[in-house]
Formats: sequence, C-alpha cells, structure tokens
Amino acid sequence: MSQQEPEGRWAIAHVHASFNNTIITITDETGAETLAKSSGGTVVKQNRDEASPYAAMQMAETVAEDIMAQGIEGVHVRVRGPGGNLQKNPGPGAQATIRALARAGLEIGRIEDVTPIPHDGTRPPKNSGF
Amino acid sequence: MRVAVTGTPGTGKTTATETLDYAVVHLNDVIREEGLHDGEDPDRASLYADFEALEEWLAANASADDETVVVESHLAHHFDADRVVVLRCHPESLESRLRERGETEEKARENDASTKSPQALTRYARENAEAEALDVILGEAVQRHGLESVYEIDTTDRTPEAVAEELRAVLADEREPSAGDVDFTGYL
Ligand SMILES: Nc1ncnc2c1ncn2[C@@H]1O[C@H](COP(=O)(O)OP(=O)(O)O)[C@@H](O)[C@H]1O
Ligand SMILES: [Mg+2]
Repeated sequence: MSQQEPEGRWAIAHVHASFNNTIITITDETGAETLAKSSGGTVVKQNRDEASPYAAMQMAETVAEDIMAQGIEGVHVRVRGPGGNLQKNPGPGAQATIRALARAGLEIGRIEDVTPIPHDGTRPPKNSGF
Repeated sequence: MRVAVTGTPGTGKTTATETLDYAVVHLNDVIREEGLHDGEDPDRASLYADFEALEEWLAANASADDETVVVESHLAHHFDADRVVVLRCHPESLESRLRERGETEEKARENDASTKSPQALTRYARENAEAEALDVILGEAVQRHGLESVYEIDTTDRTPEAVAEELRAVLADEREPSAGDVDFTGYL
C-alpha cells in the first residue's frame, strides 16, 4: 500500500576550467538537454576575475538553485581543464564549483577528470602536469 | 640560454622555428629517434615521453649554459628554460590546420599503415582543439615557469613569417612576457 517517493533526477555538471574563464553547464544524464548554464563573465566585472574561485562559486550557487527547482537531486561532475588564472594550486575553479554545488544541497556523485591531452605522436606521462 | 617554444600541436611551432638563426631541438623527433619513451597510449597513438630521460638528454645536448638553443615541442614547457614561448591559435583554425596537415601527410605516404584513419584524424584534431580552448598548455607553462617567463603569441590569422618575427623579438629580449591575452572558451 505504501507508495514510493518518486526518485529525484540526476544530472551532469560539466565544468570547463580554463586559464581565462570557468564555464558550468548542467545537462541531463544523457548530455542531450541543457538544464542550466553559466560562465565567469556573467558574475564578475573584470576579465581577469572570470577564472577565479569566487566566480566559480557564485556561478555554482546560481545553477544549483536553478536545477534544484527543476527537480534535480544530485549531479555527477565532469571536469575539463586545469583552470586557475594565477592560482598557486591547480583547478581552484573546479574545486570551488564542486564545494558550492554540495553546499547548495545537491548530492555529488562521480567526479571525473576528462581534461583533453595535447598529443602529436608523443604525449606527457600519465600523471604529469595537473 | 634555453628557450622553450611550446603550444598545442598545430599552433605552428615547427614552421615558426624553421627560419630562426639559432640551434633548434625538435623534441618530438628526439623522443622517437633516441627511444626516450615509456610505452604508448593506444587511444591517442602517442608515445608516453620519458621526462627523466629527456631532462638528461637536454642537459647533455641543449645546455642552458651554452649559446642560445631553442627547444620546440608541445612538451617543451615541462623542462627547465630561461624563457617559454607559448604559441596560440583559435581552436577552429587549429582544427582545420591539423586536418589539412594530416591529409597532406596521408597523401605523401599512401601505403603507410601508420597514417591516421579519417576518424582518428578527427579525434586527434578535436582533442587538441579542445585543449587549446581550455588553455591547457598555457596553464601548465605559467604553473611551472611563472608569469615573468612566459611569452604568449597568438598565431591566428598571422603568417608564419610574422610569427617568426615575434619569436625573434622574444629571443632578442625585445618583448615583454604575457599570458592570458586570448580567450578561446567560446569554442567549447
Ligand atoms: N601562421 C600560420 N598560419 C596558417 N597556417 C600555419 C601557420 N603556421 C603553421 N601553419 C600550418 O599549420 C600546420 C601545423 O603547423 P606546424 O608547424 O606543423 O605546427 P606544430 O609544430 O606546432 O604542431 C602545418 O600544416 C602548417 O603549414
Ligand atoms: Mg611540430
């Protein structure tokens, strides 16, 4: 007789973290439908702040609110790019994004690093760079 | 002085360094010819460079204490250098440069099994273009060498000769360091 709660939907948070900018795109689990999108330029005034952890956090809060209103309960995270204009530690944009998504109340599932690797018949060792 | 010329494949490193009056080390050729690698990434048909062996090779053959030597490769910024030049190119132009270069290579050696299939060429051009859009090499270069040693040169819509000229300016200490002047994230 007991009816099960409808399970919350999951989405994928694509975090593109370049030297210059951070872009967050939330899609459905197939990647086909975009549910929310934000880039550094929309939350900070100065170009040089677009890749800052502060910008990433602001963006993450906004998109989290947006997709939770759409019934999303958790996200798997796909990070592309080293990110981090002038940062000492690599990937601060990505880390700040993930923390802010979690703080906003989203469950965090798998975190995958799918940063593209420059290659030309040769490539760096597996665990070099970032 | 050792100058690293790096940048995503297709940005024009080999072309731009061809006309320089300095000794130029083509690091990708060294990796293959000297066997300084450690297996192959089958997904990318690319040899894993052995950085330790390359460091030793560079110390013996391209010492920073000698006359100016240019080390050219998309891996050049992973090694010690006095200056690091990062060539850039808009990802869309980069993709077409890599496709054209790949197709030309294929014509040149039609019966060679090592040439890329059209699908492999597409994947190769895409992944490099995406890496360029994300500033992967610029980020790594700044991370290792600091803003004061990095010289970014945008090659989009510029002739190889104009790029070589700017490279000469860096070598002659007539250009200031720079990084982050281009933003290619619109490509993503
Ligand atoms: N400034 C430029 N403008 C347009 N095409 C270029 C330029 N420099 C190089 N190319 C072409 O782009 C391709 C890649 O150049 P290449 O020098 O082989 O790049 P890299 O050594 O950085 O991988 C080649 O086919 C080359 O002819
Ligand atoms: Mg080359």
